[in-house]
Amino acid sequence: MPELEFNEDEVLLLASRGDREAFGLLYERYIDRIFNYVYYRTGNLHDAEDITARVFQRAMSHIRSYTDRGVPFSAWLYRIAHNLVANWHRDRSRKQEIPLDDLPLASAKVDRPEATLMRSQEQDALLRLIRQLPAERQTLLILKFVEDLSNAEIGRIMGRSEGAVKSLYHRTLLALRDQIGDQNINLEGE
Amino acid sequence: MNKSETTSTEPRLNELEAHLAGTLKRVPPRRDFVQRLRSYIHFPPREEIATRLHDWRKLFIIFGSVVSGMLLLITVARALYHLFGRRNMG
Repeated sequence: MPELEFNEDEVLLLASRGDREAFGLLYERYIDRIFNYVYYRTGNLHDAEDITARVFQRAMSHIRSYTDRGVPFSAWLYRIAHNLVANWHRDRSRKQEIPLDDLPLASAKVDRPEATLMRSQEQDALLRLIRQLPAERQTLLILKFVEDLSNAEIGRIMGRSEGAVKSLYHRTLLALRDQIGDQNINLEGE
Repeated sequence: MNKSETTSTEPRLNELEAHLAGTLKRVPPRRDFVQRLRSYIHFPPREEIATRLHDWRKLFIIFGSVVSGMLLLITVARALYHLFGRRNMG
């Protein structure tokens, strides 16, 4: 979907004064990004929809107190999403149901066959490994590969320098490679 | 063996990046979900309006305003009565 053309600062100002239409424009711009972030953090489409809805409900109810501190508006949304995903993980670990690694992918296949059936076993294994990474590393990979953002853009969202993002990315790749080796996952089978 | 050494099952970093790019693809949200949430943003449900009305601070201000307004009206009415009502009686 093509990105809506508008001056985000002006729209943000209107939205922070309670203009619903202005907030609607921000919603249209960020709904896909936030949904994808939450989806890859949870691996479950139902929960991803539920959490995404709560992200925008919370953003809408707090938009009046939003202040521009020089970071992109998306960083504010990702922060809300991050907090809600963290709560979701906490609630699930308290309930101690089915292991975290297995359930999301299994339920995702049932919820959305067209989106997941094309995934190979190797990709499923890789996704499980990604979900075992610390939250900030997962965020970095999602922003880099799903959102196709540059290190500089990721840095602005994550509140880090471009160099720090580059370094974190390299360490993340090394950690993933080691995990793949430890768990004997063969990515060549595609 | 040192972990950083590459084995047959450990992909090189550029290969790993290619696998990540192939795995982490954008998943579009369901249209009805996006539409439902869009409707919510433009037209909040009654429950939300009710919740807002339960905000005690706002209720206190509204109640205070109504009472003050009524007192003001009564005072103005009494003043008018004293000014014009008595004159007519006399």
